[in-house]
Amino acid sequence: MKRRRFILAAWALLSSVGAGALAQGVVASDRPDRVAVTVYRDPSREPGDAPNLEFLGGYALVSETRQITIPAGESTIRFEGVAGGLVPQSAIVTGFPEGIIERNRDAYLLSPGTLLDRSLGRRVHIRRTSYATGAVREQEAVIRSGANGAVVLQTADGYEALRCTGLPDGLVYDEVPDGLSARPTLSVRTRSSQPVTATVTLSYIATGFDWQANYIVMLDPDGRHVDLFAWMTLASNDETSFPEADTQAVAGNINYNRTAPQPREGGPISLRCWPAGRTSDIPYSDLPPPPPARMIEGYSGDDQSIVVTGTRLRSSNLESASPVTVLNAQQEDLGDLKLYRIPEPVTVAANSQKQVALMTRPNVRAELVYRSVLDPADDREAEGVPMFLISRNRTEEGLGLPLPAGRLVLFGGGAGRPIVMGESFLSDRAIGEDVEVEFGVAVGVTRRIELIRQTDDWSEYRLTVTSDRPAPVRFEAQFSDAGDKFRPRRRLGRRDGMPLWVVRVPANGRASLRYRIMN
Amino acid sequence: MRALLLLSTFLSVPALAQISAEIPPPSQSAQGEVAVTIYNNNLALVQDRRQLDIPAGRSRQEFPDVSAQIRSETVTLTGAGVGIVEQNFDFDLLSPQALMQKAVGETVTLVRTNPATGAEVRERARVLAANGGVVLQIGERIEVLRDDGLPVRVIFDRVPENLRARPTLSVTVQSERPGRRPVTLTYLTPGLGWQADYVALFDETAGRMDVQGWITLTNNSGTPYVNADTVLVAGVVGGPNQPYRGGGSGSSPPGQVRQVGTQTSNRERLGDFYLYPLPERTTIANRQTKQVSFLNVQNTPAARAYEFHNAWLTAHGEAVSATTVLRFSSARAQGLGDALPAGTVRVYQRDARGNPQFVGESAIGHTPMGSELSLATGLAFDVKVHPVVERRQRITEEQWRTTSRFRIRQPDGTQISGEQESLREVDLYQTDMRYTLTNARPVPVTVDLYQSGLDNYWHDTRIVSESLPSIRETADRVLWRVTIPANGTVTLNVSFQTRH
Repeated sequence: MKRRRFILAAWALLSSVGAGALAQGVVASDRPDRVAVTVYRDPSREPGDAPNLEFLGGYALVSETRQITIPAGESTIRFEGVAGGLVPQSAIVTGFPEGIIERNRDAYLLSPGTLLDRSLGRRVHIRRTSYATGAVREQEAVIRSGANGAVVLQTADGYEALRCTGLPDGLVYDEVPDGLSARPTLSVRTRSSQPVTATVTLSYIATGFDWQANYIVMLDPDGRHVDLFAWMTLASNDETSFPEADTQAVAGNINYNRTAPQPREGGPISLRCWPAGRTSDIPYSDLPPPPPARMIEGYSGDDQSIVVTGTRLRSSNLESASPVTVLNAQQEDLGDLKLYRIPEPVTVAANSQKQVALMTRPNVRAELVYRSVLDPADDREAEGVPMFLISRNRTEEGLGLPLPAGRLVLFGGGAGRPIVMGESFLSDRAIGEDVEVEFGVAVGVTRRIELIRQTDDWSEYRLTVTSDRPAPVRFEAQFSDAGDKFRPRRRLGRRDGMPLWVVRVPANGRASLRYRIMN
Repeated sequence: MRALLLLSTFLSVPALAQISAEIPPPSQSAQGEVAVTIYNNNLALVQDRRQLDIPAGRSRQEFPDVSAQIRSETVTLTGAGVGIVEQNFDFDLLSPQALMQKAVGETVTLVRTNPATGAEVRERARVLAANGGVVLQIGERIEVLRDDGLPVRVIFDRVPENLRARPTLSVTVQSERPGRRPVTLTYLTPGLGWQADYVALFDETAGRMDVQGWITLTNNSGTPYVNADTVLVAGVVGGPNQPYRGGGSGSSPPGQVRQVGTQTSNRERLGDFYLYPLPERTTIANRQTKQVSFLNVQNTPAARAYEFHNAWLTAHGEAVSATTVLRFSSARAQGLGDALPAGTVRVYQRDARGNPQFVGESAIGHTPMGSELSLATGLAFDVKVHPVVERRQRITEEQWRTTSRFRIRQPDGTQISGEQESLREVDLYQTDMRYTLTNARPVPVTVDLYQSGLDNYWHDTRIVSESLPSIRETADRVLWRVTIPANGTVTLNVSFQTRH
């Protein structure tokens, strides 16, 4: 056996005596001293979709620091209070002075089912209570069958089945068998030549987290500027809370294959008895109920809560939808990704959603544009035109910062209160890129294509745009599939390889373009 | 009553002690010296050397604590002076239902409890049938068990031999002589598997990375292997099985190994397989994920690169992020210096505070030493490509001249040969593509821009003009290496002439 590549020097010192033969100490570390959580988006979630709070598809990198006293000799260090969604393959453990031998994650949890299963062959007590007198009798028994729907006990009288008699009877165990813990636990086997206190760092990826940016855009009454505000919305499905955690979120598109941790083993006992049909009533009323439907692990539906951190609403100006924030996430580059750091430790609570201000950009130059991509030969009735909010991600426009993907709500002022003008989403936008957000179809701005004349050589069409807005609006039409046979009456520009007509439609007015299509 | 109870408890103790001796508790195992060889494709070879007391002649030996998923047809048993008569794998599990069904025709004890007084009455009964309900004969009466709904305990005298708590292997052996001797049991089992997991800490400014390799082995076979000597085999056993590939996302470029290596690693080998023995015996518990380190390399050269793959006639309405790839070598010189078993490479990079952050992962197959790897870790936030089909038109209908030669051997032996020309009309298309490459990073970057689809049944695709020089990598694919200045934009215009 070639061992020289293995990093543990300690192995060379000790003989290959089996682990079980050595005296082992078990050291449990119940919680981290310091913890950092970096949340990553669900890679398969589209930017326009909200995270499903009941089943978050993103993940987090959790880094913990723990102070651990390692005894001399071989010992097992149990890291308790780690995230339930810990992916053991991803774990990195550093700080053991003499390295580690191996790390283990056991999926067996303490539950009625595993308790029974692991007690096979052990001595337990069967307790029976008399309905008539209330007298309790305990009798020694040995479990002879596993938990898969059957309990057969051996008592001094012979062999009996549990809960098939109609009597109230139950099992009493003397102790919890080894290897059953309340929560999924990562343990590390290590060996030390002397007792030592070490600061150990444990980093791992945990499933069941997600985050996104949520943009709130207030349109200025002049229609040419917006106030941009964004929340960083973090969500956790995990059963473990991380108090006072250094919290970050990473924006960008990362290759990640969801690796589900090994399913946890542990559940209720479902007892089945012998056939119990009777003369009168079938089915038997004393049959145990079916096991409850399996719930998504780590999620309990009713303790969802939303925490808003470090914000206070401006009471004097209720027209503004953008809150005033005192705690803002700080952005930095991380390789090809963008990292957003919450500058002070916050609590990432179990089954909760948290929001911290991501960015505030007042007075950004932007414009509402009505835009269509049209087939020029498709004459059709008047239709509404989709509205776009367009700007460019530059300092000249008042932006010039990376914009991570997320949902966006556009508010306009009017009647003394903010009014939602549309909901949409934004994909990742780098500095310098065009920012174009599509909203729904506007009702008051329509377009229509009519076939007005036709000869053997050509067909002539007219595109008409109408607006009921009290101010002029900008309309853009791109013509798809328009080759050399497309002959507009006036010179058009080009965008993305398609002819482009840009027109300013006057207030409460109309504009039109005539073109021919040659046969 | 109390005295009776005490008496029965007293009496039961020796009986129970005897029972307990029969079944070892789960923490004790009947396994002997176990050696486990684990393959990548959910397969393991277990060798279990147990000390057995075998009498002379025929005897039945039970082997508890074999894998619950044992492939019993692969079991072999060897021992000095031991011949095998037959092997049985019993999976008739003990349950109240099985117990009752096997008790048909047998006599059991009923204990009836009076609900008003709590008084118990014992009766012996014969089980007549257990179909849907239990029919009993008590003396001269025929009754259905618990037909009146009153509590009745049924006590069985014994458990039939072949009803077991767990699936059990038993072998009937013929031995020449009695005595204790080592017997080796060998079998294959699914449920055990392993893969490699790599942790790569990449330092972009230094162009270096540290790599740790971990063997991750999982046991879902239903049985723990106590104190096992474990060897992991990199490679897939069996004929036409698909090799491990991982489930890379669609953005991954084709071919993560740019050049397959030809060097031999220092690892132990067996035929095509590399062996990774664990350094010491270990207990692989059921439902356990266990990790052991096998590779630790510091400061190996690594570089970040960008790739963009565009399919034929693909245009996007907006700029699309380029793929970020990490390039490194597994060669002895300037590389990891090892063969890499299949697994997942997770890449970390330090943030401004110096804490490692996850920046992406990629699956690799079994990679020989000396390979050049190019792993896609994600999409670049700041480096984007916007491909646009500017114009596509049919330009000419050319006369295409084809020539064919023929030679005919006639029945009388003479040969006729000649040449024949034919003219065909073909359509030629010109496609003008514009690729706008943008870089919002404060440093210049180079993007490998691939356009594929050039060989689309028609092979004669030409590039008529291009604003940057290209490399025609294959008949189907062309590559431009485009360097974009810091915070800059580069536009690449290309005209293709195709027959499709």
